[in-house]
Amino acid sequence: MFASAGISGTIGRAFLLVGFIGAVFGAFAAFTGARRNEQQIIRLIPRFSVLSFAAAVGAFAAMEYAMITRDFSLAYVQKVGSWSTPALYNFAAVWSALEGSILMWVLVLAGYTLAVSFWVRKRMQDLIASWALGVMFVVSAFFFLVSFFPANPFAVGAPGVLDGPGPNPLLQNHILVMFHPPILYLGYVGVTVPFAFAIAALITGRVGEGWLVATRRWSLFAWGFLTFGIALGSWWSYEVLGWSGVWAWDPVENASLLPWITGTAYIHSVLVQERRGMLRVWNISLLIATFSLTILGTFLTRSGVLNSVHAFSESSIGSWFLAMFAVVLVVSIGLIGWRGDKLRSPGVIDSPLSREAAFLANNVLFAVFAFVVLLGTVFPLIVEALQNRQIAVGAPFFDKLSMPIGLALLTLMAIAPVLPWRKTTTETLRERLFWPAWCGVAALIASLLLGAYGLAPLLTFTLGGISAGAALRQVALATRRQGWRGMVGRANGGMIVHLGVILIAVALGASNSYSKSQELSLVANVEANFSGHTFELQDVVEVRDDRSISVKALVLVDGKKVYAPAITKYTRIGMNVGTPSVRTSLTTDIYLTLEPPVRQDANEARIKVFIKPMIVWLWIGTALMAVGTVLAAFPGRRRKSTDATSAPIEAVQS
Amino acid sequence: MKTRKSIWLAMFLLVAVLLVFGASRTGGPKTQQDRIDSITSVLACPTCSGESVFVSRAAAAESIRAEVARQVAAGLRSDEQIMSYIEQRFGGQVLLVPRATGVDSLVWALPVAALVFSMFLLVSAFVKWRGNKPTSPTSQDEQIVARALNERI
Amino acid sequence: MKSKNLVKIISTIVGIVIALFFVVLVVADPDQDIVAKSPLLGQPAPAIASETIDGEQFVLERRKGSWVVLNFFNSTCVPCINEHSLLVDFAKTEAINQNAAEIYTIINDDSSDAVREFFVKNGGDWPKVKDDNGAIAVAFGVARVPETWIIDPNGMVRLRITGELSPGLLSEQVNLLRDGFTS
Repeated sequence: MFASAGISGTIGRAFLLVGFIGAVFGAFAAFTGARRNEQQIIRLIPRFSVLSFAAAVGAFAAMEYAMITRDFSLAYVQKVGSWSTPALYNFAAVWSALEGSILMWVLVLAGYTLAVSFWVRKRMQDLIASWALGVMFVVSAFFFLVSFFPANPFAVGAPGVLDGPGPNPLLQNHILVMFHPPILYLGYVGVTVPFAFAIAALITGRVGEGWLVATRRWSLFAWGFLTFGIALGSWWSYEVLGWSGVWAWDPVENASLLPWITGTAYIHSVLVQERRGMLRVWNISLLIATFSLTILGTFLTRSGVLNSVHAFSESSIGSWFLAMFAVVLVVSIGLIGWRGDKLRSPGVIDSPLSREAAFLANNVLFAVFAFVVLLGTVFPLIVEALQNRQIAVGAPFFDKLSMPIGLALLTLMAIAPVLPWRKTTTETLRERLFWPAWCGVAALIASLLLGAYGLAPLLTFTLGGISAGAALRQVALATRRQGWRGMVGRANGGMIVHLGVILIAVALGASNSYSKSQELSLVANVEANFSGHTFELQDVVEVRDDRSISVKALVLVDGKKVYAPAITKYTRIGMNVGTPSVRTSLTTDIYLTLEPPVRQDANEARIKVFIKPMIVWLWIGTALMAVGTVLAAFPGRRRKSTDATSAPIEAVQS
Repeated sequence: MKTRKSIWLAMFLLVAVLLVFGASRTGGPKTQQDRIDSITSVLACPTCSGESVFVSRAAAAESIRAEVARQVAAGLRSDEQIMSYIEQRFGGQVLLVPRATGVDSLVWALPVAALVFSMFLLVSAFVKWRGNKPTSPTSQDEQIVARALNERI
Repeated sequence: MKSKNLVKIISTIVGIVIALFFVVLVVADPDQDIVAKSPLLGQPAPAIASETIDGEQFVLERRKGSWVVLNFFNSTCVPCINEHSLLVDFAKTEAINQNAAEIYTIINDDSSDAVREFFVKNGGDWPKVKDDNGAIAVAFGVARVPETWIIDPNGMVRLRITGELSPGLLSEQVNLLRDGFTS
């Protein structure tokens, strides 16, 4: 098992074993200590979390060491390592394929377990903490085991190999490969923390609000990084893949979106439980769904079943994740059934015109959205398994169905912030929505003046305007009452996140509906025209380095800037990768790609021009969401129990 | 209040008119590139998992794109006919939008059913909750209370 | 408790659905058919015309009257490289046959030079047809290589083999079709 694997391989595998043992013992200590309420056993937990984390760091470091020193005795290094890959991309090559990314999962999860055990160290009398840590250790142990057996990155490779092909060329031409996976994993793996606490709450029967409030920042942290990770992935797709889009609804993207959908529903719905103790079953179900979807998503994307059902029996990693998914669901639903009576809420929703009702509708819409995305992703698999024929379900399906759901969500975003708790009258609603509604009208008129057309985008702009008005109204009222503290805290930070979402929705609406493209055959020094811009080919140059041959077309656009779209042939792998050239402005992006075939020193080139409106607002919206999330993590105004729960309509000082 | 209500009414009418006006506008005639892009957006790249021919940079996708571009330039076939041409060669798996027949129609029917069902559940829950009027004490309850108070005195 | 029963029902349903999922995945047996489906089987072959890497014209329609074997090929694809010797053997056996099948290589996403180099090194002197923007591949619905197609003397598509050829498979299939053929 350890023989002749090279030093890094042996050490790495040993570290994984140590980490697994640490996780198992940690789970044992946590569960036994919690069951018997013995603080002596519970005190051992931090040692195991430190041990597991140290082992995970050791294993990851061993992998990086092997990759950096190009230790080709390991099969994984043979797969993604190469002498000709630059250092930075070589470092990132560790997480460019299955085994390494599972290793990264192990590391991040061990880190979260250590962080949580540190965070609760002063409150270990509260048994919920021990149960939660136990759950985290169990999940940790699972991933250590997966990394030890089916996805072993330290497996011995074929003898006598001196060099490798390097990672997929798409993963070695943009710096984002250093950031997007780790950031996404911080979010993806981070949902394990609130999930563990939800299970702990079910086990101890203390399904009230305490654990929710305590884990609020963990949930927000994980959700924030998941959101940011998804946005970075979209940016990478735009900058690198060359089809000028940001989201293709492919299975890997959907796998990251699904937990985001249920997670977003959760962070909204949890407010109802904190305020009124309701929607408990919803909240626990949403957390369980979020975590289970991370496992299911990994199953779908790593087992290969979506390419072909038959891939399932070819590698065992699919079975591991499917089994884990089944175990998680069965245990969770069993626990909910067992504690069902405690989960019954003390109140009911008084009126459909209330914030609770809006959040309930929100939950339903997000649940339907998640169902649609999941159905579309697994439908080809089901059809192939049942009828042995291949079909494809792609972007047109998802676009068509997510449009009405998105518009409904925008509508909720417009109304919910002004809805008071418990109930209200239509007069109040009309009063509060008056100025936001005019914002919507203004947005509609402005977009029409700028040339917008089409019902769906216009509705998006109108609803976006109303939502923006509602969000700004909240923030304005809060800052008027509390000064700068009106910008922080959950509600106000949340409004800023909403503003970011609105920017993204509007930008998506505009770029999906109003993008234009054209293929142009350019001859050197002859100007071509498209959509109000001029394009002139200046030269076609070739750039060589030891891993690629790049043919670039230098194109002068509008007489001002030179774009250099390229086609790069990665000689070690024999793969051609097109690199687009993009210039961003506040209103439009001009996006150029070079179309094959192209020859160096030719005086002609075929390029494809994409005029994409409003793309930069996607990234501005993302930044705003990030800022809002950080603001939301700050404590807001400490609410006195005698305070009114909603803002007064007239500011009457008593 | 009445003026407020009439302002709202005017606002709704204004928005409705503007939306109808905007919805009937178009962004100009469809260029050949628009036709190519819309056709390739609903064809699945045969070597990828669910990516459209428009999105994918794979060799098979490039070939199909080139073929679609050729046929659009020739101007002899409609969009539907070009899609059928490709479908006749690669099989049904090359259509990215499942046809609304047989088992495939489930992928459209189930989400709609889910939405309708969940809306129904939501509405019926609200109706049920609305009907929960706070109970008022019956005369029997008041007698019990009066007796208890008397006993205390 | 009504909610307890509801949860039990839901968990049983979820459990059954997942179990079914598992069963379906495990039981789905791999497609043993080497002979692949195609909407073109039994139909006239697409009218393709191109030129070989040596500059000669190639028009499929003019090959009517003989059996034609088309092999879609790329010099870097591993199964193509593996099956190449089988094709060379097949060509040799056919050369002495009266009713010889003609074999043509259709180049898929590769340069003529690379293909020429490969054939010089590994043998095979049949015509290699260029397919510069993949029109022939699209016409046949070929997305992955290698694929081998058999067309009868009437110009009808008779067989489609996807993936690497196994020893003797091509001769066997061609002979079967030839024996059963009545013009």
